[in-house]
Amino acid sequence: MIRNKNMVQNGRVKVAVDAMGGDYAPEEVVKGAVLAAQKDDVEVLLVGSTNILEKELAKYKFTNGSSIRFVEASEVIKEDEPPIDVIRHKPNCSVAVAAKMVKSGEADALVSAGSSAAAALSAIQFVGMLDGVCRPAIVGSLGSFAPNTVMVDLGANADCKPHQFLTFAIAGSVYAKKFLNITNPKVALLNTGNEENKGSEIGREAYSLLKNSGLNFVGNIEGNEILNGKANVIVCGGLVGNVLLKFYESIGGYAREWTVQKLKKYPPLDILVKLLFDGLFPATKISGESEKRGGGILWGVDGVVKIAHGASRAPQIANAIESAKEAVKAEVIESLKLELAKFNQGGKP
Amino acid sequence: MTVEEQIREIVARITHVDKNIITRESTFKEIKADSLDIVQALVAVEEAFEIEIPDEEAQKFQNFGDFVSYVESRVAQGEKV
Repeated sequence: MIRNKNMVQNGRVKVAVDAMGGDYAPEEVVKGAVLAAQKDDVEVLLVGSTNILEKELAKYKFTNGSSIRFVEASEVIKEDEPPIDVIRHKPNCSVAVAAKMVKSGEADALVSAGSSAAAALSAIQFVGMLDGVCRPAIVGSLGSFAPNTVMVDLGANADCKPHQFLTFAIAGSVYAKKFLNITNPKVALLNTGNEENKGSEIGREAYSLLKNSGLNFVGNIEGNEILNGKANVIVCGGLVGNVLLKFYESIGGYAREWTVQKLKKYPPLDILVKLLFDGLFPATKISGESEKRGGGILWGVDGVVKIAHGASRAPQIANAIESAKEAVKAEVIESLKLELAKFNQGGKP
Repeated sequence: MTVEEQIREIVARITHVDKNIITRESTFKEIKADSLDIVQALVAVEEAFEIEIPDEEAQKFQNFGDFVSYVESRVAQGEKV
């Protein structure tokens, strides 16, 4: 059953977009909304200062008027403001209003390119968490070298408690099933060794929870096994996940530059290398994976919440809206609820 | 239910700890409440008792008892609608 009845009735997924959030907001956000709204199955709800947004939209020859609407939000959380203000002092800022729309069912999903922390806090406070989950996590596909592997958490939780690793594993498994079509995803815990007693105290407790979870847990894996396909879902804390992701995304560019420099004295070869890297070799495409999806979904929240990169331009905003729509259609929240319910019956994971 | 009991319920729900381990002497660190837990608890208590707790007052809370005492004093002042 799809979560929002309105969507079923008119066939359109309603995506609330924090139009004031992002390095290039509202200009690029409105432009991205126009791109996304060309499709018939989405309605974009631009949340922000209506006066400003109307002027921005007027720049475009946009004919499908019924698929973009404005929702007034008088305040904005700026990048230099404490994100916690979204809860304490600015509950009517654009990202908070958009989050409340998801909670009330006026929107099916939220997209924000503004402060990630403010968006996450809005999601926690105003959309709410699923039963058994205390903090959201970011799940991402490793693409290129490991097309059947996802990692979680990629940065939402710097400090993690053992039970969070279990919810990460559940979220990652749902992602692998829904988006990678893997029937029974293999789950592994990222650690400093394969043995059960390796790593920190939190890691060992997490291992025990995962081992007894009923998930397809294959044990610990080390950093040199991330890309070998041994696991479909790699669970780690947000600090480790975020550092690894950024390192992984940077490899392609550096490998290209290093190789081109080495072959500079052999002119035909350096051109060939550039062509190989830019056209064929997967390393330089790694960073394009998240761009293609327009950012990451916050898993564990009771609604689809997509956090786009702060530097998103119109195409990335459009991609974020599109993938938020696809997540709603794929009923990812319902799937996660079902998986979590199995664990909640025996106590909070 | 007393003010203290209500606040204990709220804090226990947000921090996912057993309410019976929260005493007036418990620090937020002892009950493993992070900064977000504390802010969520503040907001939930503000809504429950229809009061506003200024940041500068909240920053003075050293333990659960300080939090409870502050809210009790505000409620006693008849701020609850």
